[in-house]
Amino acid sequence: MPRRNPRHPDRRTQRRKDVTHRADQRPGGAFRCAGCRLDVPLGAPGTAHRNHCPQCLISLHVDGRVPGDRAADCGGRMEALSLFARPDGEWMLIHHCLVCGELSANRIAGDDNPLALLRMAVRPLSDSRVPVRALLAL
Amino acid sequence: MSNTNERSNPSDFGSRTETFACVWCGLTVTARAPDGGRRNHCPSCLQSRHVHDHVAGGPSECQARMSPISIAVPRNGDWKIVHRCTRCDELTAHGVHGDDNQLILMRLAVRPLAQPPFPLEVFGNL
Ligand SMILES: [Zn+2]
Ligand SMILES: [Zn+2]
Ligand SMILES: [Zn+2]
Ligand SMILES: [Zn+2]
Repeated sequence: MPRRNPRHPDRRTQRRKDVTHRADQRPGGAFRCAGCRLDVPLGAPGTAHRNHCPQCLISLHVDGRVPGDRAADCGGRMEALSLFARPDGEWMLIHHCLVCGELSANRIAGDDNPLALLRMAVRPLSDSRVPVRALLAL
Repeated sequence: MSNTNERSNPSDFGSRTETFACVWCGLTVTARAPDGGRRNHCPSCLQSRHVHDHVAGGPSECQARMSPISIAVPRNGDWKIVHRCTRCDELTAHGVHGDDNQLILMRLAVRPLAQPPFPLEVFGNL
């Protein structure tokens, strides 16, 4: 899937991370996703380290304030809560820890499932409780 | 519990007189929203303030402005606004209130689709 936006260097320093899901570490440079059980290669195109499953976007709470620092003891499952675009246009995911409630912002990877990302992006617009179309017509 | 006037007594909450001044647009707003909940952001510009330390609990020393960056839609629940602190990058998510600025909410909601990282045409008719 081609990406329109050029990759920009991270604003924060990132340390290289060996695994995203430490409980399921396996040889051969892959881990098994805690959410959908997909075997995911560790390398992620366009990012310094893989933060979430490219298929279901689920992550584990292992990082502290700096992406890749592995400073959190929580280990809880983190679900993608929402998505936003940085000023340079790059899409970022907000992950929400189901155990401790922590929020984190993470870059998308070049091989993240486009349909899963698009579902996140259109979620507010497909909410039947909010008359979005009427508001957009304003 | 962001964006609240520090001098106000927490036990005052609920009184219809408690107000705070928006850190961004200066609007004076009631701390209590029409739906009865406590506001954490300005209903006009949706900016907030980093006044609560959610890790250690209690008040935060940061006090910087928090800007709205994203709309979250819980499976069963009202929209939430994700705020990020302009100084320390702290993230929070708080529910919207009935008198929040609908146009700014919509602008936040549609912004990612204006710059998709892949051509949307490949999805055809979804
Ligand atoms: Zn997965
Ligand atoms: Zn956690
Ligand atoms: Zn304001
Ligand atoms: Zn702050």
